[in-house]
Amino acid sequence: MESSLSVRNLRKVYRSKRHEPLVAVDGVSFDVSAGECFGLLGPNGAGKSTTMKCVTGFFEPTEGLVEIEGIDVQREPKRARQHLGVCSQDDSLDTDFTVFDQMVQFASFFGIGRREAESRSRELLERFQLSSKAGELVEALSGGMRRRLQVARALVNRPRVLVLDEPTTGLDPEARRTLWEILAEQRRSGLAILLSTHYMEEAERLCDRVAIIHRGRIIDCDTPEKLIAREIGRGPVDEEIRPGVKIHRPPNLEDVYLKLTGARLE
Amino acid sequence: MNFYRSVWTVWLRHYSVFRKNIVYGMVTTFVEPILYLGSFGFGLGAVIGNIEAGGEQVSYRAFVLAGLIGQTLLFTSFFDGAYGGFIRMYYQKIFQAISVTPVTLSEVLWGELLWCSSRGLLSASVILLIGGVLGDFSWWGCVVALPVIFLASVLFASVGMLVAAGSRTIESISYPQYLVIFPMFLFCGVYFPLSQLPEWGQAIAAVLPLTALLSVVRTLLLGFQFEWWALPLLVAWTIPFIPLARNAMRRRVVA
Repeated sequence: MESSLSVRNLRKVYRSKRHEPLVAVDGVSFDVSAGECFGLLGPNGAGKSTTMKCVTGFFEPTEGLVEIEGIDVQREPKRARQHLGVCSQDDSLDTDFTVFDQMVQFASFFGIGRREAESRSRELLERFQLSSKAGELVEALSGGMRRRLQVARALVNRPRVLVLDEPTTGLDPEARRTLWEILAEQRRSGLAILLSTHYMEEAERLCDRVAIIHRGRIIDCDTPEKLIAREIGRGPVDEEIRPGVKIHRPPNLEDVYLKLTGARLE
Repeated sequence: MNFYRSVWTVWLRHYSVFRKNIVYGMVTTFVEPILYLGSFGFGLGAVIGNIEAGGEQVSYRAFVLAGLIGQTLLFTSFFDGAYGGFIRMYYQKIFQAISVTPVTLSEVLWGELLWCSSRGLLSASVILLIGGVLGDFSWWGCVVALPVIFLASVLFASVGMLVAAGSRTIESISYPQYLVIFPMFLFCGVYFPLSQLPEWGQAIAAVLPLTALLSVVRTLLLGFQFEWWALPLLVAWTIPFIPLARNAMRRRVVA
């Protein structure tokens, strides 16, 4: 099966006059198929966001190739991005517009006509339970609603690939679960999702495959279950959660990460 | 989406915001120059009467009115490029959001420059209209002046974008505003002929772009003596500032 998103030998080196060159991403390769959610898991500074920005074409990679639906993002950014939806780590909602107007406005950047844009926006706001806020400015929305709106906006062009950079950071548990349900539904509808996170539970709940990224390199990649079974085993793990208080719990991705890197996730 | 349509789409985004806040836009665009016109043109103009400048005898009101074109477009283009650009880039992250769509960052920045320049042109056009209606400007001169005014708007918008790109905080935009823009506005001949300055002052003012703009505008609108160096100087200022501003803003956005 052909990949919706293909990343080959991606390398990004930041150069500056004052500092030594910093290798943020070092030879990363992966594929994401239609209907698959692929997670990049790692701590802050591991290279997740840089990889995401190279995938969207926002950063020019030092080396390597990124293809969306077989289209080279660097050579043909306009064509490639017609198939791409992006929900960045930062809140980049347009505070000058109402919820509905910014959906329509954003659609214009994909060359979508006003009538079609309005129809898609209504449909998406309904699906993301934001219809009641259509006439409100972004400031009136809660954190969870803002995040949902960002994802809804990223889908206005009906992309084949959705890039989500730490989509639930800062959200309360209820808002996080609502967003997970929405993303699971999108994945079932055939969307290829590339997701970066540092939340273990999020990666285990959403991702078909997870790549553990550390110091710019993928150090292991598989389904969460296989990674855990391979690296930790199936038996319970002992953990001292407070001084003198030990528990037995099932192994998780954090255990895998600790074993592979010796570092602790935030 | 080809290049032109992409740039136009960005321009339309800014125009939509302007249209939504039309009262604010009208007040900030039109009220200030009209107040200056009332105070300096009609108030001080009545006291001073006629002056000799550019080889012509003109009313002080007409002289100031032509100067207000430069002031208005300087402030409008610069402020929108600097403060508006900083807000859109830094706080709203609009450039970042658009540039992962089929509209590239390069096109976003062209759209931004075009919008800030359009605002300068719009505000200066109001002064042209007032001057034409009052009979101080020749109508044909107003029409011919428009492309020159737009060129200067592009320059001052570029300077604004360059300042926005180089400013760590929105407050630090005040430095170039007070140290470069305000002195240029005060000493480039908006309110008085440059011949009133000491020779060294005239020498400095003569190389500044606002002086060049005012020279061309007053030649076209008031029939002042043609100064051959003015338009080439304005062009010479504009050409390097466009890539400087775009590259600086690109580096800042992608950093």
